Amino acid sequence: MSEFTPSPDTGPAPGWKTQVWQQVQQRRLSRWSLRVLLVLVFLSIFGDFLANDKPLYCRIAGKSYWPIVQDFAARQGWYQWPADLARPDWRDLPYEKVVRTPIPYGPRQIDRRNLGLRSPGGRQRLDTPWERHWLGTDRLGRDVAAGLISGARTALLIGLVAMAVAALVGLFLGALAGYFGDQRFQLSRAMVIALLISIPTSLFYGTTLWHVFPAGAKSWSILAGIMIMLTGIGAGRFFQRRGVGRRSLVIPLDQLIQRLIELLEAIPALLLILAVVSLVRRPSIFLVMVIIGLIRWTSIARFVRAELLRLRQATFLEAARGLGFSHARIIWRHALPNALPPVLVTLAFGVAGAVLVEAYLSFLGIGLPPDSVTWGSMLQQVRESPKAWWLATFPGLAIFITVTVFNLLGDTLTEALNPKTRVSNL
Amino acid sequence: MVAGTPDAAGHHTPLLVLHPTSRSPRFMLRYLIKRLLFFIPALFMVSLVAFALSKLAPGDPVLIMSRSRADETMRNLVDAERVYREYSRLLGLDKPVFYFAFSNQAFPDSLYRIINPERQQTLRKLLYQFGNWPALESYYQAIRPVETELRQLLATKATDEVIEHLRITQGIYTTFDTAGIRNRLVALNTFGNTIPENKTLHTAVDNLQEAYRQLCQHPQRSRLFLPAIHWYGFDNQYHRWLSSCLQGNFGVSYLDGRPVSRKIREALRWTLRLNLTAIFLAYLLAIPLGVQMARRAHSSFDRSMTLILFLLYSLPSFWVATTLLIFFTTPEYGMQFFTITGISDIPAGASWGQRISENIRHMVLPVFCLTYGSLAFISRQMRNALLEVLQQDFIRTARAKGLPERVVIWKHGFRNALFPIITLFGSIFPAVIAGSVIIEVIFNVPGMGKLTVDSIRSQDWPMVYTILLLSALLTMVGLLVSDMLYAIADPRVNYQEKTT
Repeated sequence: MSEFTPSPDTGPAPGWKTQVWQQVQQRRLSRWSLRVLLVLVFLSIFGDFLANDKPLYCRIAGKSYWPIVQDFAARQGWYQWPADLARPDWRDLPYEKVVRTPIPYGPRQIDRRNLGLRSPGGRQRLDTPWERHWLGTDRLGRDVAAGLISGARTALLIGLVAMAVAALVGLFLGALAGYFGDQRFQLSRAMVIALLISIPTSLFYGTTLWHVFPAGAKSWSILAGIMIMLTGIGAGRFFQRRGVGRRSLVIPLDQLIQRLIELLEAIPALLLILAVVSLVRRPSIFLVMVIIGLIRWTSIARFVRAELLRLRQATFLEAARGLGFSHARIIWRHALPNALPPVLVTLAFGVAGAVLVEAYLSFLGIGLPPDSVTWGSMLQQVRESPKAWWLATFPGLAIFITVTVFNLLGDTLTEALNPKTRVSNL
Repeated sequence: MVAGTPDAAGHHTPLLVLHPTSRSPRFMLRYLIKRLLFFIPALFMVSLVAFALSKLAPGDPVLIMSRSRADETMRNLVDAERVYREYSRLLGLDKPVFYFAFSNQAFPDSLYRIINPERQQTLRKLLYQFGNWPALESYYQAIRPVETELRQLLATKATDEVIEHLRITQGIYTTFDTAGIRNRLVALNTFGNTIPENKTLHTAVDNLQEAYRQLCQHPQRSRLFLPAIHWYGFDNQYHRWLSSCLQGNFGVSYLDGRPVSRKIREALRWTLRLNLTAIFLAYLLAIPLGVQMARRAHSSFDRSMTLILFLLYSLPSFWVATTLLIFFTTPEYGMQFFTITGISDIPAGASWGQRISENIRHMVLPVFCLTYGSLAFISRQMRNALLEVLQQDFIRTARAKGLPERVVIWKHGFRNALFPIITLFGSIFPAVIAGSVIIEVIFNVPGMGKLTVDSIRSQDWPMVYTILLLSALLTMVGLLVSDMLYAIADPRVNYQEKTT
């Protein structure tokens, strides 16, 4: 690991990437998990074109429409529907020609003809065979297949956003703790005093302005808070330069961050997530993602910390320091890239965990909007209607497959990055 | 989540120093005491977190408590306020929240005395609008005479109009937008004009209007920008809660008024019964399985078991639980082997045999769901750890000595492969509480998991606090126990102070 980077532009050699790729190629299960992941990504990106109550293409009164694309544009404000098509029931319009999506139902669309749990193979009231609910309907007459497809997007988004938040926090704090340790983070007294004054001041005036400003201008208060903080830091710099309070204080960053990690890990994550999510007044899926991310960053931070602790004495970091690079640059460009592989492993397992947590939450009906269609909420319905086996089987299978795929990817990464177990052909 | 799944990095980094000389009991004892002392600040922090969570929670505890007890007196309008005050005194909500509060010069230090959270919120918003507490206070106090007048009017003639205007008056307490207050005041004024003979109502409404005019004309918003710290001393909600906790009194549940500790004890009985069975079974099966897999590493047995265990590990337990539940307890599928109805209601006169068979019928499915995940995880860990050990030189030496394979594996190999198993063992303690939330909810087991979810759902904060504290304590105890076990399993581990 002690490779010296001759020019900072090239960066460290990506040796582990090829190793991972080789591992993926070697193991049949890894190849399959990658393929399934691609399918999931495809479903979550193009799900609207697979299951939708709007047709893909239609011609009405001599005019052609691409309703799904146009609807997307309309929701962004780029397009205006003609008045007669503003809120139509897309099922019975006087079409001259129409091309439907493979599943002609939206995830939340209620099919009034097939209310109350129609089984996949059972009798359904349909006009054409195309309209069949291949995986059945739920109590409200919503199509299960369409729900599964939209659930794929939710699940992947949850995993992605939650782990992005977790990675952001975990990398930052872990890098600080590992790189600086207990001794090496020093601030001049002037700066410490400036921070001690400016942080509470900016918080105080930020919140006061937040309440005082009218509804439209509230975000300015955040800007004001940041300005106060920057002014304080500037003042600290100024005094430090003039030689006032130049003596430096050692901040035991590692200790502080480790205590924070221990505190968070002392409470079982699921309990903490449940308790925090129940505080949310207006349930939203993005808030749940952020909460999951803010609670589950600790393992990433621990990995990064351990890795940087190990790398701290490495010659290439000494060299970078010798060249006079700033700490931020050394951490970002030289240290962190080397700490990345173990983080990737945690991220892969973390996505699986986040998907599961979301499923738990919507299964318990805590924290998500009541009308949202996710795998967990579909699975939950079966508790009230145990006869609807299709509501238990398909969403559960989807959760299982997603979790397995990410666990397998994490496993592949672990084995590829662990020299002891690299040769194994499962 | 599967019980006992720490991260691959190991749970934490103890001061592991490999040092051949001193492993005296004195060092161990000192280490133990140091670790136990560290519990205090950690638990203190957790208690702060739990308390902050409860204060951030939406909803009014008094209303939660009185609603869930279906208190009739609350419905009676006249008594409502008195009952509200009684309940809030009972819950200690009439005290300041914390030892101190940061705020500004415009805010009085007695705002906490307005117990109703909605009204307190309204006052805060009005303060941010005007910043003039004396004027606001006299405005707020001028509402009450109007209310009393209308109440008296209601006692003499109960028309819809009077009730309507009483509602309007009470609505003023929680109105903060200028237009809303103006409209209500105008409505009261016109109502007052319809009954000119009622002079006292007139003056009350006039006073209220005058007070509001004064408030609008004399804003002091500059005071909002001067910070202030209010010191409340030790007679506050947090201090009272913490000190009663230290005396072993965890308060009463909002839901049914029973002591939290008793509810937890009852729930713990079920959770322990389920989880201990599951953990015992998991270790009982996983260790021989892992050892076999390691012995026959890379054989077809090993490979197929690895795959099966991997799939088992990825099977979400709540899906398995739901599926098993619907297939085995619904008559439609013709496989109704188990019952789900009320695990706790075994008839009192049942014989021992009946009791046991009934318990088993209830416990098979949940125990299975709790077991298979940790079984998969533990046996994988066992296999990998033992495999690594078996490749080392001293195993070859042992074999070369001619020791029987059984001794090589169990005496020389197994003991050295114990580390991951110990790490897992430490994580069992918190899993007793948090590990089985979903399973208990699904199978309707009245244990800790179900209790937790129910209390979080119904915002029964005394319960939630205590559960959070308890699980934090168990997590730390688990870590400590596994650290102690490391030292017992491997003489080279000692927890002497770092000498650098």
